Amino acid sequence: MSLRIPCPTCGDRSVHEFVHGEIRRVPDHLTDPDERDLDFAFNHDNEEGVVAERWFHAQGCRRWFEIRRDTTTDRIVEAEES
Amino acid sequence: MATLLVDGQQVGAQAGDSLLVAMLRTGLHPTGGGCLCLGGDCPNCLVTVDGVAYTRCCQVPARDGMVVRRDLLGGEEPTLLPDESLSAGKAAPVRHVHCDTVVIGKGDSGREAAREARNADLSVVTLDARDGQHVTGVYPGPLVVASDQAGRVLHVHPRREIVVATGAAEIQPVVPGSDLEGLVTARAAAELVAAGIDLGHAVVVGERPAGLPEGTLAKHFPIGQDSWELLRFEGDGRVEAVVVRRQGDADATEERIESDTAVLGLGRNPRNALARMASDLPVRAVGSAAAEPDLPPCPTEGTVCPCSGVTVADLDDVWERGFHEMELLKRATLAGTGTCQGGVCLPYLRSFLLERGGRLQPAFTARPLNRQLTVRELAAGAHTAVTARSPLHDEHLSLGARMDRAGGWWRPWTYGRKDDEYRSVRERVSLGDVSSLGKMAISGPDAEAFLERIVPTKVATIRPGRCRYVLMLDERAYLLDDGMLCREADQDGGDRFFLTSTSGGSGFFELWLRDWAEAFGCDVRILNQTASLAAINVTGPQAARLLARAGAGELPSFGRHRQVRIAGVDCRVVRLSFTGELSYELHHPAADARTLWRRLLAAGAGFNVQPHGLETLLRLRLEKGHIVIGQDTDYDSTPRRLAHEWAVNLNKGDFVGRQALLRTNKLPLDKRLVALRVEEPPAGQAGDPSAEGAAIHDGERYAGYVTSDAGTAAGGGAPMLGWLYLDPEGNLPRDVTVDGRAARRVDGPIYDPEGARARAAVDIVSESPENVREFPLARPEATDLADEAPTGPPRLRRLEATRVSATTAALDAVVDDSPWPAGALAFRTASDELLVTATPDFEVAGDPHAIVEPETAFSYVWLDEATAERFLDRECEWRRPNARRALAQGEVAGIPAKLWFEAGRTLILVPAPFAAVFERRLTGSLGETDGGAP
Amino acid sequence: MNEFVERQMKLTWRPPKKSYDVVIVGAGGHGLATAYYLATRHGMSNVAVFERGYIGGGNSGRNTTIIRANYGIPAAVRFYQRSVDLYRGLEEETGRWLMHQQKGILWMAHSQAAVRAERMRAKLNTEFGAQTEWVEPRQVRELCPELDIEGGGRWPVLGASYHPQGATARHDRVVWALAEGAMERGAHVHQNTPVEGLVLDGERVTGVRTAAGDVAAGAVVSAVGGHVSRIAAMAGLRLPIRTHRLQAFVTNHYQQQFGPIVASSELFFYASQTARGEMLLGAEIDPQPSFSYRSSHDFVQDVCRRALCLLPFMSNLRVLRQWTGVCDMSPDYSPIMGQTGVNGFYLTTGWGTWGFKAIPAGGEQMAELIATGEVPELIAPFGLDRFARDRTMADRGSAGTH
Repeated sequence: MSLRIPCPTCGDRSVHEFVHGEIRRVPDHLTDPDERDLDFAFNHDNEEGVVAERWFHAQGCRRWFEIRRDTTTDRIVEAEES
Repeated sequence: MATLLVDGQQVGAQAGDSLLVAMLRTGLHPTGGGCLCLGGDCPNCLVTVDGVAYTRCCQVPARDGMVVRRDLLGGEEPTLLPDESLSAGKAAPVRHVHCDTVVIGKGDSGREAAREARNADLSVVTLDARDGQHVTGVYPGPLVVASDQAGRVLHVHPRREIVVATGAAEIQPVVPGSDLEGLVTARAAAELVAAGIDLGHAVVVGERPAGLPEGTLAKHFPIGQDSWELLRFEGDGRVEAVVVRRQGDADATEERIESDTAVLGLGRNPRNALARMASDLPVRAVGSAAAEPDLPPCPTEGTVCPCSGVTVADLDDVWERGFHEMELLKRATLAGTGTCQGGVCLPYLRSFLLERGGRLQPAFTARPLNRQLTVRELAAGAHTAVTARSPLHDEHLSLGARMDRAGGWWRPWTYGRKDDEYRSVRERVSLGDVSSLGKMAISGPDAEAFLERIVPTKVATIRPGRCRYVLMLDERAYLLDDGMLCREADQDGGDRFFLTSTSGGSGFFELWLRDWAEAFGCDVRILNQTASLAAINVTGPQAARLLARAGAGELPSFGRHRQVRIAGVDCRVVRLSFTGELSYELHHPAADARTLWRRLLAAGAGFNVQPHGLETLLRLRLEKGHIVIGQDTDYDSTPRRLAHEWAVNLNKGDFVGRQALLRTNKLPLDKRLVALRVEEPPAGQAGDPSAEGAAIHDGERYAGYVTSDAGTAAGGGAPMLGWLYLDPEGNLPRDVTVDGRAARRVDGPIYDPEGARARAAVDIVSESPENVREFPLARPEATDLADEAPTGPPRLRRLEATRVSATTAALDAVVDDSPWPAGALAFRTASDELLVTATPDFEVAGDPHAIVEPETAFSYVWLDEATAERFLDRECEWRRPNARRALAQGEVAGIPAKLWFEAGRTLILVPAPFAAVFERRLTGSLGETDGGAP
Repeated sequence: MNEFVERQMKLTWRPPKKSYDVVIVGAGGHGLATAYYLATRHGMSNVAVFERGYIGGGNSGRNTTIIRANYGIPAAVRFYQRSVDLYRGLEEETGRWLMHQQKGILWMAHSQAAVRAERMRAKLNTEFGAQTEWVEPRQVRELCPELDIEGGGRWPVLGASYHPQGATARHDRVVWALAEGAMERGAHVHQNTPVEGLVLDGERVTGVRTAAGDVAAGAVVSAVGGHVSRIAAMAGLRLPIRTHRLQAFVTNHYQQQFGPIVASSELFFYASQTARGEMLLGAEIDPQPSFSYRSSHDFVQDVCRRALCLLPFMSNLRVLRQWTGVCDMSPDYSPIMGQTGVNGFYLTTGWGTWGFKAIPAGGEQMAELIATGEVPELIAPFGLDRFARDRTMADRGSAGTH
């Protein structure tokens, strides 16, 4: 196994059962619709640290859910910690 | 007594001997020299055992019949290629073990840690090299991987903690002569004496080994402050004398002591690599594995790293060249990059850097593998990706099809009659298997609003019973996929839609839809019917006649769809066309596919019906200029670049990619996918895509490349698709060259430009009034899950079931009510989805938008509890539920499975496209021997 | 003394100054190559390279050392062909042994779609100056007799594209040779000196902030790998970059017997034998963004399984060591090089899984840009502004594998 992702329906499973998704964010200071769209379409925060993200359990319940993960260690942060 | 062969020489071994001890009894040193540690820490006993090189022979029990080669004896590396050529490399068997705590090492500290954990009511697994369990790494998961003597690989999954109780290695000598034979560490000396091996005249330098009988050792020189220092070993091949001197006194006289064996107690280095490689996991080193390492004196001469042949002079040299960091010293000399991974050199590199740089640097990074397993051992438990099979897979094979992997599915590439496959579509009638298309049922109060937001066409204008070609764009307005969107005929519960994707997109389809449905907060039900429904494309001028002969009453006109019973099978018939001919796509329950296929072939016999493969389909559509996603499209394919603006309505309100379309439409266009016609294509067989990738030139200017070619068309000339770059004036050239041959950009399809053939009006009753007859409904091998007894060899069988997508509350209510026959099982596969092992003869009262559909595309097998345990311990790496009457979902044997645990037996459900491979893996796994290990 | 040490480079460390003409952030291959070409081609040696760890300690020392030009779009074929050519002359130019070995790459096809893709690759490469040809299974067997052409019955090889210029070199030695060449011409390299901020004068970047104080610079170049988003944020930029792990592993050392580099896009792995005799295997990036250097078991497990399908002779080889790098991935799988819209601040990033092979050309072109102020034609298509201009450089030839 490798990194385990906690699916709220199915339980902990290998990362290979999932598809990763991102919660997108556009900076507030962008007001021009094209600029906002460009940022939305291409740019990422690419944060080092705890990030909220979405995963789809493709090999199990086939649903999306949200977790928080520390990208510097891959540790999944439990809800009560955050 | 076991007998083994070492370099062709017979060697006897006594009971309990390691391979090394057996060799030493016969006077054979495994590598010709170097201090032996017997602890698996040094590279001085590596041999090739039964074809596996780099085997630490101190860690392997001597077994009768072993074939051993001392490959490293001559300083050469072992050969890469085995003596016999191999095919179909097979992975070693795996065993998954779940526990709370895993303790690595069964010494005092390990036993103590295991006892403490057991006293706290934790389940404990202990692993120890002396039991043949060599731990290769501590990984995220957490996961501890170890080989064992049964030839099996253990994957231990601890829930709470990993305790590293691996003890300490002994520091090796680094002085001139340290590569001689006759050197052993103190612990090794004790073990060898205990095994009855005579050390001869043995001289100890450093710490005296414990537990040796009096008189074993001739002389003892303690090392360190106010004591002795080791200078060198002398001898020719084998040690003859040990040379020492009073510590710290360069003028003191050297003492030369003749010896048969030098016994070296030079200090300890904790075996903490497993803990260091997993610092962010719940890992704890205990006992001497947790101790501070002893630091030997800075070496002055000799080999520091025997694996890479690095001497003290080498270290000095690179230090002078500016390599001062531990990692740079390692990389510049390659010290520490051999089999022992720094086991010998690391303490000396640290003392060297301390002396030269005045700073004690940390050890270099510990990386897996701690113990080197073989490729086949490491592959244990892995499977290559499974290619899905259509329900018609075996039909294609029996018709002689050559199958090809395409978009994650096995597709018939050709049935070996390429020209006739083409002609049957163009001139008669043909069948194509399109079961691999992605298929989604979508309903709910927001169904229409949701679809408006995800496809660029105006959904509101698709009336009930109509269907339309749709694009699916990402937020960059780049094309992801295409498909067709059908609005169901008026339903009581409101709008309901059926949406398809390409085969290649079918894996991505559901997650994409659900992602946006959640992002937009739309109240919709989505049911993935990709595997549930098979689909057959009946195409060609005689298509309607064939269907009439197969009992079709009324068929939809172009751009419409309707439910029709054909050859006894309920089908959704969709009338669009990809081939350019009159086409009916028949979507029907997967379990009926074989019946329908055979009856259609029989009904078409009079028209000389032939199935066509993917190769022919690619040629047919090219003559119509239809794009294939992934072949003709690229990452940056906007509708404008693809000349598909007609499929986009920018005025209908917001949809995914709309803002990006508005943004990019302001920019000048750079390239466009165009249809080309090459008048005199190179000679070649029809259907040979030899021009794909060929450069398109506009005069001297490189102007793009060909994406699709199918060779010469029926009417002469070759139709192609390709990317054409606009010229500097912003125009698309008309006349270009492809591979130097004249080509012309054409505006419409080369075949039937008006589309009359695909859109032909059909009056089916007048077409063939004599043939309207009844077919019996015939679905094979219906089974009753409840009666199934868990006996006999495991075989997968088809399940008759129902799938429901509805609100959570409505499903809660229906499960409470259980309006299905007693004995049927209801599996809540998601909060809003239910799988019931009964036919859909029930209502979901709480949700008028509920989708309730027959599901015939699951296969199942019951296994008795012991068999299930045996299978799942090998093929399921995740922790299974302890409760009974419990559902679990996830990957088993590399395939998405659903497990239902009852007392005494376990049900396994797998999607039909993977059933054949699953059955093969199930049989293979159960047939695998375990080597008699626990 | 072993040859590896005997023919080692000489590194010269000097104390930092308060001001340089050019400050480069990141002493990996790309940063050092930029310094090297500034010094050798443009006579600019008042240059400093700042490194938070040790030189070549990031992806430059964690890659699979493959050099090739068989990419999927014209601009990339031209660019990487330049790099292949520079690499071929680099031993002579630097006078250093880089263990450069030309061995050829076979890119296997197991399906008709892959056959088409590899045939297209061959045509496109040939058009733009890289040698790639389509070879039939029989020729594949001749080029790599160790390969099971039947793929264990499940993954038969239907043919391959063959790129004879495919090569490998010793990653560390490339880094050190470039460092030595820059240092001996006066450039400074400062290890263990992280850049903690950028000094801005209005809209212009005028220096870098380090623990040892501010350092003024006429131009600042980010050549970092793995953390470029953080550096870019210091200049107020958000980038189209996500960082992912890339893993690899080697077996123990065996006699030199395995000739070419072999790759399979469908089985997602590639393999070669290093100059030191290890079989080296790699595959695609990990799916989730991550900055963790931790290696995982499933990686080595899956790649071993896939390799066994085509290279069953590997069954009994022992795997010695795994490692991980973190790669900055652009959305179109092409690098991002050039100006940034912020005066005085340049980027070379998006090196994903193809950074090593681009080191000489990347350095050469960035040096030319900085020295002349003109964007060289070879890298003009790879600017950061391409996303706003809707001119992305999607490259199927780089996606998925090294």
